[in-house]
Amino acid sequence: MASDIRPVSKYMGRYIIRRIGQMIPIVFGVMLITFILFNMVGGSPALLLLGRHVSPQALEEFDEVRGFNKPLVFGWWSGTRAYDDTPFDAHAGAWRALEAVEHQPATDDAPAHIRLPSGTHAIPLNFAPRANTGFRWVIEYRLTDTGSAALLFAEAPEDEDPDAERMERRVELPPAERWSRATVRFGSGAEPAGLNMRMEVAEGASLDIRRMELQRRANHPLDSQFVFYLGQIFKGDLGYSESMNQPIAQMIRQGVVPSLMLTVPIFLIGLVISISLSLVCAFYRNTWVDRSLVIMAVALMSINYLVWIVVGQYLAAYRWGWFPVWGFESWIYLVLPVTIGVISGLGNDVRFYRTIMLDEMYKEYVRTAFAKGVGKRSVLFKHVLKNAMIAVITNVVIAIPFLYTGSLLLESFFGIPGLGYMAVNAIMSSDVDVIRAIVLIGAVLYVVANLATDICYAFVDPRVKLK
Amino acid sequence: MDNLEQTTRSLWGDAWHRLRRNRLAMICLGIVILYTALAAYGEVVYRWHQWKDITPSYQRTNIEMQYLPPSPFRQPFALEGDVDAGFGGRMSAGLRELTRHPLGTDGLGRDVLQRLIQGTRIAYMVGIVVSLIAIPIGVILGCLAGYFRGRVDDFIVWLYSTFAAIPGLLFILAIAMVVGRGLLGVYLGIGLTIWVGLCRLIRGEVIKHGERPYVAAAHALGLGHTRIIFRHILPNVFHVVIVTFTLMFPAAIGTEVFLSFLGIGAQGEPSWGIMISNARLRLWHGVWWEMAAATTALFFIVLAFNLLGDALRDALDPRLRTGRQ
Repeated sequence: MASDIRPVSKYMGRYIIRRIGQMIPIVFGVMLITFILFNMVGGSPALLLLGRHVSPQALEEFDEVRGFNKPLVFGWWSGTRAYDDTPFDAHAGAWRALEAVEHQPATDDAPAHIRLPSGTHAIPLNFAPRANTGFRWVIEYRLTDTGSAALLFAEAPEDEDPDAERMERRVELPPAERWSRATVRFGSGAEPAGLNMRMEVAEGASLDIRRMELQRRANHPLDSQFVFYLGQIFKGDLGYSESMNQPIAQMIRQGVVPSLMLTVPIFLIGLVISISLSLVCAFYRNTWVDRSLVIMAVALMSINYLVWIVVGQYLAAYRWGWFPVWGFESWIYLVLPVTIGVISGLGNDVRFYRTIMLDEMYKEYVRTAFAKGVGKRSVLFKHVLKNAMIAVITNVVIAIPFLYTGSLLLESFFGIPGLGYMAVNAIMSSDVDVIRAIVLIGAVLYVVANLATDICYAFVDPRVKLK
Repeated sequence: MDNLEQTTRSLWGDAWHRLRRNRLAMICLGIVILYTALAAYGEVVYRWHQWKDITPSYQRTNIEMQYLPPSPFRQPFALEGDVDAGFGGRMSAGLRELTRHPLGTDGLGRDVLQRLIQGTRIAYMVGIVVSLIAIPIGVILGCLAGYFRGRVDDFIVWLYSTFAAIPGLLFILAIAMVVGRGLLGVYLGIGLTIWVGLCRLIRGEVIKHGERPYVAAAHALGLGHTRIIFRHILPNVFHVVIVTFTLMFPAAIGTEVFLSFLGIGAQGEPSWGIMISNARLRLWHGVWWEMAAATTALFFIVLAFNLLGDALRDALDPRLRTGRQ
């Protein structure tokens, strides 16, 4: 006997390590998906969150804190909000302030652009370029009448002395009759560069600008949003909620308790009731009791969750006044939401556990037990229930991580200040960081719960490790 | 005799025969057909108004007509105006009034029945588009994983495990939020998350079938992978797709109602979720008919699809078929 135990524990350790090895890619996958969703598809939520009437500096600061001003995954250059108004589809943007500038809407042979007549024009810039940062100025333009144009700006002083005179730099744009593109690089010194930018258009010429961009150079090509995001996660920094003005980690800590106070009773009561009912189904299988219970279960699960809540709140709390309608002050406030939660989940659960019990009922050991003359009751409770427990426990453990997110609807309807309520509010105010944090934690908990189930399995059933 | 007859029926014919004998399933099929017809009618009405470029009556506010209760016998004959037209005229005026708002009107005087039909149209749009997104993803990935195994399998299992790890409703909400308010976000949010279950089922079935002799025979004949997967294996696992579709459809409808209720689904269109959301506050003032109409409509379609899905599973699942012999 003793010699048996050692190899088992040795395999066990290997098995656990292997399972953890399988778990890491999934956690990474979740990070990847949230990154693709929120950074690549969604982009910076600054405009949605702060509103349209905020200065570009504020938007830039928001992006800086959240790393949205970096290249996505890899690269040197990322856009800035210096010229947010291009392309000039609707209007000339900040250029409207200049009287001489003409806005030309898109036509069949030319895209929307602005036209600068001859003379020297100051280029409107949404914010001043910062020090210690390299910039690349990109222009897509065309020159008419074979004229010439040049970009003028103050270069950073050569030495670090702030009083030193700034060099004036002049960059000729190559003549171009068709749309072409030119770039000018400047900056990266200790002093901000690119101040006082002007465009000089020669006599008799005019300059059409289709697009203008100011790009920022990253410190190194891996200084990207993705690396920043991974770094944030590994530091355990969940970010800051703009709409609630609170660190998200603190919000989650506060919200998790009310959520669990709601979901844990729903889960436990629902579990007990649905397993009992499924045993009743198995006991009276293929009789009217079983059939009517199944039909009731299907009917229950066909009623939308939303309807349960709306009608339940209206009838039980408002019309009949049995429970308080809204709030979170004592346990009385939880009775109605918990009842609604249990009832609305019952249909699905009864059907699920009934399938498990019936699957077990058709196994050969049950037939053997009946053949030996074991009574129906004792077969059901001693044999079937015990064996069905494996499937039940899997289902239970897998459901546990989802308890933490609470219930979106129940919480917002009954005013329970949990994570579900928080998530609904965050969605209403487009607070991406909050949603991302809840999704990430939920996913990690799920993966960990999965791991725990598998390890428990391996302890109970040695055959699992051989797979 | 019965055995002889059975051998002459095809696999699908056999399944249809089993389904025909299930009276409850037939009733459900009837309900589904009825809703489909309503949705098609709603689509025609919607398109016609779009083509004519006029505001449909289910969108037009009419404050004088607000909160009309749904009683079909609401003084139908006590109308003025048509009195001189004789009994027949009064009768037709009464009937017209009777049929005008059979389910009453909402707080802006819009006909609840018409809005309900438009809600059916939107629910069907969601169910169909979501299935069109989710079923190809689930079937193709499931087939590839189950057939090729190895690295491909590892990758696809990793992909769906990752999707399964993310809390479902929040994931859908996040996608809908990123895509933007409107039905497109609903389609993508539900469609891009609901394929996981189907993919898992198809993968398992394809693995089972990959070991069968007929696949080995197809290999021996030198057939290509694409042909073996889609012409030989897929028809044999297609019952999984059909059953999943009948269960996916009501799930998508229910989720759309939820999203529209939260205000990130349908915008300005009478989806059932919007109707429930509007009716919720009116309910507290005793206006119950809008809520009752939307929830009843939602209940019956979901119930019909759920029961039909169960019946289809019984009719199509080969495991049960062999078990009964």
